[in-house]
Amino acid sequence: MKQEYAYWIALTHLPKMKIARKNELIVRFFEEKLSIIDFFHCNKTDWNNLFLLNEIEISLLNEAKKELPNYSFLVEDILEQGYEIIPITSPDYSPIMKNNLKRAFSPPLIYTKGNKKIMKENSIAIVGSRKADYVSLEFTDYVAKKASKDYKIVVSGFAKGVDKQALDSAIKYKGQSIIVLPQGITTFNSGFKKYHKQIVNGDVLVLSTFFPKATWSVQLAMARNPIIYGLAKEIYVAESSEKGGTWSGVMDGLRKGRSIYVRTPLLKEKNANNLLIQKGAIPVNSKGNEINNYSVPQIIESIVMEPTAAINDIDSKITKLLAFGPFTSKEIIERLKLDWTTRKLTNYLKQNDNIEVLGKKSPMKFKIKSNEQLQKSLF
Amino acid sequence: MTRNEAELKLKETFGFDKFYDEQWETIEKLLRGERMLLIERTGYGKSLCFQFPATQFEGITVIFSPLIALMRDQVRGLNEKGIPAEFINSEQTQEENSQIIQNAVDNKIKILYIAPERQENQEWIEATRKMNLSMIVIDEAHTISVWGHDFRPAFRRIINLVQLLPKELPILATTATATKRVQSDIEQQISGNLTTIRGNLLRDNFHLFVIETKSEDEKLLWLAENINKISGTGLLYTGTRVNTQIYARWFDFVGVDSTDYSAGLDGDTRKEIEKGLMSNKWKCVVSTNALGMGIDKPDIRFIIHTQIPASPIHYYQEIGRAGRDGGKTYIILFYNSAEDDNGVPEDYKLPKAFVDGGRPSLKKYRQVINELKLEQLGERQLMKKTNMKQTQIRIIKSDLIEQGIIKEVLFGKSKKYEYQYNAPELDTAKFDDLRNAKLKDLDSMVNYVFTSEPRMKFLCEYLGDSLPMKFENCDNTKHKKIIVKPSSLIIEKLTDFRETFFPILNVESRHSNLENGVASSYYGISNVGSVLHRCKYEGGGDFPDFLLKQTLKAFRKTFENKHFDIVIYVPPTTSGDLVKNFAEKISSVLKVPISHNLSKQHETQPQKVFQNGILKRENVLDAFDYSDPNEINNKSILLIDDIFDSGATIREIGKLLTNFGAKLIIPLVIARTVGGDI
Repeated sequence: MKQEYAYWIALTHLPKMKIARKNELIVRFFEEKLSIIDFFHCNKTDWNNLFLLNEIEISLLNEAKKELPNYSFLVEDILEQGYEIIPITSPDYSPIMKNNLKRAFSPPLIYTKGNKKIMKENSIAIVGSRKADYVSLEFTDYVAKKASKDYKIVVSGFAKGVDKQALDSAIKYKGQSIIVLPQGITTFNSGFKKYHKQIVNGDVLVLSTFFPKATWSVQLAMARNPIIYGLAKEIYVAESSEKGGTWSGVMDGLRKGRSIYVRTPLLKEKNANNLLIQKGAIPVNSKGNEINNYSVPQIIESIVMEPTAAINDIDSKITKLLAFGPFTSKEIIERLKLDWTTRKLTNYLKQNDNIEVLGKKSPMKFKIKSNEQLQKSLF
Repeated sequence: MTRNEAELKLKETFGFDKFYDEQWETIEKLLRGERMLLIERTGYGKSLCFQFPATQFEGITVIFSPLIALMRDQVRGLNEKGIPAEFINSEQTQEENSQIIQNAVDNKIKILYIAPERQENQEWIEATRKMNLSMIVIDEAHTISVWGHDFRPAFRRIINLVQLLPKELPILATTATATKRVQSDIEQQISGNLTTIRGNLLRDNFHLFVIETKSEDEKLLWLAENINKISGTGLLYTGTRVNTQIYARWFDFVGVDSTDYSAGLDGDTRKEIEKGLMSNKWKCVVSTNALGMGIDKPDIRFIIHTQIPASPIHYYQEIGRAGRDGGKTYIILFYNSAEDDNGVPEDYKLPKAFVDGGRPSLKKYRQVINELKLEQLGERQLMKKTNMKQTQIRIIKSDLIEQGIIKEVLFGKSKKYEYQYNAPELDTAKFDDLRNAKLKDLDSMVNYVFTSEPRMKFLCEYLGDSLPMKFENCDNTKHKKIIVKPSSLIIEKLTDFRETFFPILNVESRHSNLENGVASSYYGISNVGSVLHRCKYEGGGDFPDFLLKQTLKAFRKTFENKHFDIVIYVPPTTSGDLVKNFAEKISSVLKVPISHNLSKQHETQPQKVFQNGILKRENVLDAFDYSDPNEINNKSILLIDDIFDSGATIREIGKLLTNFGAKLIIPLVIARTVGGDI
């Protein structure tokens, strides 16, 4: 029912509440056979008793409720422009994503344009560095070709390098593709222009989980990566360095128990693919086929491991320190006597999935994420 | 809030003692956050049903209204009562509108009137995300129904919006004219938990007449001899913009105090005329039906239609603007029943043409769809790619959007149409249904002309009211029928008038020293058109002398006292030296020297090939040159051409001559077309 959309936006983009908590509420009202409208118009007693909302949550929801008419105007505008709004309770919502990301991480709402049915097909993601070299792009092309032949959907993130190659190749081989945006769906004009034909033909779906008007940012680009992994049944890594989006995305995936296929690098390559394999990713050859008895070549390891070892060392020091409670970047640098700038450390910590940021204003504090949250799998 | 409490506040703020029962019923429900449809006749007091609760809410009430005049009136009235109200519409500058939007965001306004088209404006949409919205009102709600008598595509978005608004946000839709079908359509569109209140629509102070004529002239003649005999002031509605000019000039000629009004006039002039209407400045304002809707003038004493409207609902709506004070009001409808060679009554043709010509051909729909399958295009780009008129593109666009085949998508600041994935096939059956419904409506209007029933009864029943009372205020009951019997004096006067009525060419702009010129005649209205056509396209030789005489007459009447230094003519495309020869004759009669120095730089196509102004402008862009600029520096120029259509050629030449220093350029042509009828 269209009237629900404003409510979904209000809940999904409600600040200061975790996705896991939002999904918990959604599951609850879904099981109670209530609509999201009923949920919002519950009285306080029901919110307390039925949904176990605390006072802070109730005041958050009351704030959100006031903005419902405003969101209705927004919804009217985005539907008018041909975007679709798909709540997690909708049969159109990607079952693959629900299965992969579970209750803790599945976005309650997605925005799309194009053939949304392809979210239900078998899918692969091909990920990798923005500055990937020729070997990686060739690998990407090959894997995309194979996937397209097998009627699998290629999921990619519309970044330069591997992402772009994955999309272009899927289109080249007449396959189908999902573009996962690092921005709100209404800010992707150039892409909609470029892929108009593919969208009209049903070969491309554009998808975003962010507020429709949000513009691109590093944070959104990072937050987008788990969505790519979530939408794909299989994940192929063409090339990863020891930090950045691909790296943290794969690490995140491995932690969530996903099977991730990583291209085994040539001897001369300087990337972190082997390191990922050591962390538990599955090695594949240049055709994307699994290699059974792959052992990481020593020589590469030593070249690659050196800086990483240092970082790992820092990582473990930070982890130990943060076990005592939250600290700001400045405090961490002082206590561990690091020769990093606070800015570098802040960025580094923000990209680390084991670490949680407290507060939005500077100075931000960092703490270790609790294990509890990572283990939820009721979805 | 109890009714008593509310009525105390009512007295305090609005100065009224009591609500009508139906008013209070409506207000009470709105205060509880419910949705209402209120159908009451004009003058009932519908506005109070949203104005009062709006003053009680914390935030802002937004009123979507298609009527600019109404916005202005009501805002003035509210401000006088100390209620902060504003309106946003195309008559104000962008800065003014932006300031008002900001005030709305800052919660400084209680009541905001806004045209439905604004829902397509991004500044507005952005602002709505920050406003504290308390209630939404849809005024003239019949316009949200395609079965309503003037469905406006912009309202489609308002319907969408209403369906998306949260529960508990009060919504009020009001109208004075809704058949049962339109009512149920509105009910469906607004959905949710909606209550409808329907009052009776009878207007018993109306005295209704139909005057059947056997020619167009009889209308002019009867009016000249009788309109001054009707007491008070009123409105005369004509079917077309051209006719507003003709009737107003005719009234001028016979000493009836009048002015003409149409949507073609600029905002300031329109405001000026509306103000004059309020203060009874003229006996009669001659207008297309663009005037009067929503004007809060209690004592419009007569409304006369020279053409039948498209349906009895249109008619009821249009006459509804008169006699709000309950005083005696004359409602007169002309119908020229003379039949043409095919047996079609003359006055059936124009409204029938509106029904038939309302939609472009299916081929054009397909053409647009095919272009949009390839890429997203804006309106202008589409006009260029398809060579279609803007009006056609707009109709096609709104139909395709309505059917979900395309969407209007924002690209930065510009809008483009985008073909949609999974778009349905074009459903032409809908068009046929609508066309048939419209023809049926039109036939009902003709039935009104010939009915022997009481006329008000006919109208009320058409609207779904059935009233057991007795009707006696029409020419089918107590009053005598009006028969046209003009005196020979007035007939002679009309002949004189015909020979001295000259259409104006509106070409003035900031970009050149052009001034409005004159044509000797309209192209389609006299035999001038066919004569021109024969000369131009069928090798009929030079333009005959009667055209020269007529053109000179137009010139003398309009520009007798103006001094011209030089005659210049528009160089030909295909018709050879016709215009040149014609200009030479004019030059020799007026004793103003002619110059042959305006020439074409590159070939152009005949303008009539192009269907829209953009392509016409492009066709003639930089097409002209003047070989001896010195001779026109600081000179007044009479610019001659045969036919004036969009005016693109004249404007282009005007620009060039201005750049070369011409002080004044006035066009003089033989005929101007009526809406591109070449």
